[in-house]
Amino acid sequence: MDNTGWKPSASGLFHPLSALLLLLAGLALALWSFCLDQRPMHNDEAVNGIKFGQLWNHGGYKYDPNEHHGPSLPYATLALSHLTGAPQDLDQFNESRLRFTTVLFGIGLILLLPLVADGLGRKATLWAALFTAVSPAVVFYSRYYIHEILLVFFTFLALAAGWRCWRSRKIGWAVLAGVGVGLMHATKETFLITLVAAALALALNQLWNRWLDATASTSKPRRLKRTHLVAALAVWLGVALLLFSSFFTNGAGPLDSVRTYLPWLHRAEGASPHIHPWYFYLHRLLFFHVAKGPVWSEALILVLAVVGAWVAFARKGLADASASFVRFLALYTFALTAAYSLISYKTPWCLLSFWHGMILLAGVGAAALVRSLKQRCLRLALGLLLLAGAGHLAWQARLANVEYAADPRNPYVYAQTSPDLLKLVRQVEALAQVHPQGRQMLVKVMAPDSDYWPLPWYLRNLKQIGWWDQMPSDPFAPVMIVSAKFHAGLDEKKTHVMVGYFQLRPQAFLELYVDVKLWQAWLAKHPPQPD
Amino acid sequence: MTLSLLSGLVVAVLNLLFASCSPAADAPKDPPAPSPAADASKAQPAVASDLVPLAIKLPAPAFKGTPKDLQLGPNVEPISDKPRAPMMVPPGLKNIAPGSKVTCSDKNVPADNLAKLTDGDKDASDQSIIFLRKGTQWVQMDFGSPQEIFAVVIWHAHNMAKVYHDVIVQVADDADFIENVRPVFNNDSDNTSGLGVGTDREYFETYEGKLINAKGVKARYIRFYSKGSTESALNEYTELEVYARPAK
Repeated sequence: MDNTGWKPSASGLFHPLSALLLLLAGLALALWSFCLDQRPMHNDEAVNGIKFGQLWNHGGYKYDPNEHHGPSLPYATLALSHLTGAPQDLDQFNESRLRFTTVLFGIGLILLLPLVADGLGRKATLWAALFTAVSPAVVFYSRYYIHEILLVFFTFLALAAGWRCWRSRKIGWAVLAGVGVGLMHATKETFLITLVAAALALALNQLWNRWLDATASTSKPRRLKRTHLVAALAVWLGVALLLFSSFFTNGAGPLDSVRTYLPWLHRAEGASPHIHPWYFYLHRLLFFHVAKGPVWSEALILVLAVVGAWVAFARKGLADASASFVRFLALYTFALTAAYSLISYKTPWCLLSFWHGMILLAGVGAAALVRSLKQRCLRLALGLLLLAGAGHLAWQARLANVEYAADPRNPYVYAQTSPDLLKLVRQVEALAQVHPQGRQMLVKVMAPDSDYWPLPWYLRNLKQIGWWDQMPSDPFAPVMIVSAKFHAGLDEKKTHVMVGYFQLRPQAFLELYVDVKLWQAWLAKHPPQPD
Repeated sequence: MTLSLLSGLVVAVLNLLFASCSPAADAPKDPPAPSPAADASKAQPAVASDLVPLAIKLPAPAFKGTPKDLQLGPNVEPISDKPRAPMMVPPGLKNIAPGSKVTCSDKNVPADNLAKLTDGDKDASDQSIIFLRKGTQWVQMDFGSPQEIFAVVIWHAHNMAKVYHDVIVQVADDADFIENVRPVFNNDSDNTSGLGVGTDREYFETYEGKLINAKGVKARYIRFYSKGSTESALNEYTELEVYARPAK
């Protein structure tokens, strides 16, 4: 292990590197927080929102081993909601407030970078921070109220604390690494893939250090103390136990966190609508183009990551970086990429785990490339070229989050709710304002296989709303929202009018039926508006 | 210095953030006073002040996993596999759309593009479709002389499952649609296009097009309105056909 570079310390908070990273994190926070409510809630976001709502309103959360991942997201939202003085009534929460939780974890990826600055090298750390801030995938899924960015953050926390423990042999870092792994565990079942990839990379890296790296230090590094490992393991299990048991109110939770692997393994084998070929992630990241849409590519990051890995294995141009750390990072990242590509079950946000590793390596690659040039003007030119590349990534990030936020031509959009659904929501709210019972107006929602999400989130302020998987014996109500798959024809008796179809997602439509008198009352109060 | 600047920035962002960018669908509103109606399914007249709303046990939403993603493409699943019933019309009708003068409300659409609407190409590809801008837009045909119109067929775009909003077909005796304007079809149920409340149903775009019975209405001019679809705010048109015979 080499021992150069900057080390985090109390005074290190005022180090220029920390100041620059803080500045970048502040800018990223400002940019990432722009119009967080622009994209309609995805099915999964709405489910997470309602689950958080149960915790917020009733103090209850129960881990479900079959779906919806771990407890860290609702509890993190709970903590942030208390800290920011959120309204007591969930009806007054908006999408921005929920998504701000995940944005903070995305920003946290930049704030954790000082912990590994002596592993990556100072300039590489800055490049990595910049690529984190502008990567369309990172920005898009940081603005997504799902578990993925939390998993990536806790993984980075565990790796960074592990690195610091390796360097300092202090128990505090071992405990922090244990906290990180415990929170990974309590976030998403796929944390095991990360752990296996990290263990494999650690083993391979040690073999490389011992047998192939002639320039590595000949002095034997101090062994990690067994008490540190035991402490880390105990903290991991303690954190997981605490969260899965919902703070000791759900005795079955910890056992369910083990049982959960049965349904997830079943899905990984192919029993899922999310089975995709091995190149699914790379296709979306490296070159994605659908007719009449822009060309999307984050290939720059991959190219720089390969350069970063190369310089670590070749031990050339690393300057103040640790070859061993970067090599570990490369082995870990490529193992994780291979694992996620080989598993048939794929949803695009899963790419974030290995893509974050690529971003860290890309930082090393960018710094090494610039450093490899002898002449100052050439270094400047390459630096500017790389900044232009980062600018292109930032432009794509903007497109992905604003213009194409809910558009299937965006590679990161997946089973996304159509903006058309918001028209249905506004129409139902407007009808409730006209109805004599207001928000107590009876609404019946009918769709096969519970295919009405995210409506439970959007219509949560209606107090008399029922949800059916099939047509009930008496489907009639002042307002009925019915899946087009039912071919319901509830307007045949002329008691109701079918006022339109609304797109839930591509190929999934809902019909809105309204009581004739209620519709007439609404029409009387709503004259046509000019365009 | 940097830290103080950053903390100020963070506070500013937080303040901005929680003020929603667009009008929030869930913004608090004052609820109307609840009615004492006894049956929640129908608003009944209040008969006694001591009545309370009947609490109906309604099923809660069932949590659902990530739904299947469906990519854009020409091979979309049909919404209905039932073939359309044939329309009965007088003999000797012909499609008079190709010989008509076609204009539209979007001045950015060139004339050669409008010719695509009557060229017989009903393919779902982008090359066969013209785009009109957002909002209520129309395409108009002038047949040169009054015609007795029995059937109209509209293909907006059938490249994916979608529903066009405010589909309105009107006929008139003058090009400005002032004299003797008569509706042939109108599914603008909320009158957002301002041409009257329509009572026709919305429908899915399919390769068959939307067949409308014009019942022999006599007119020289016809207009086809639309106001975006469930997929996009733009207005797409692939082909228009008008089956008619010269009016006697």
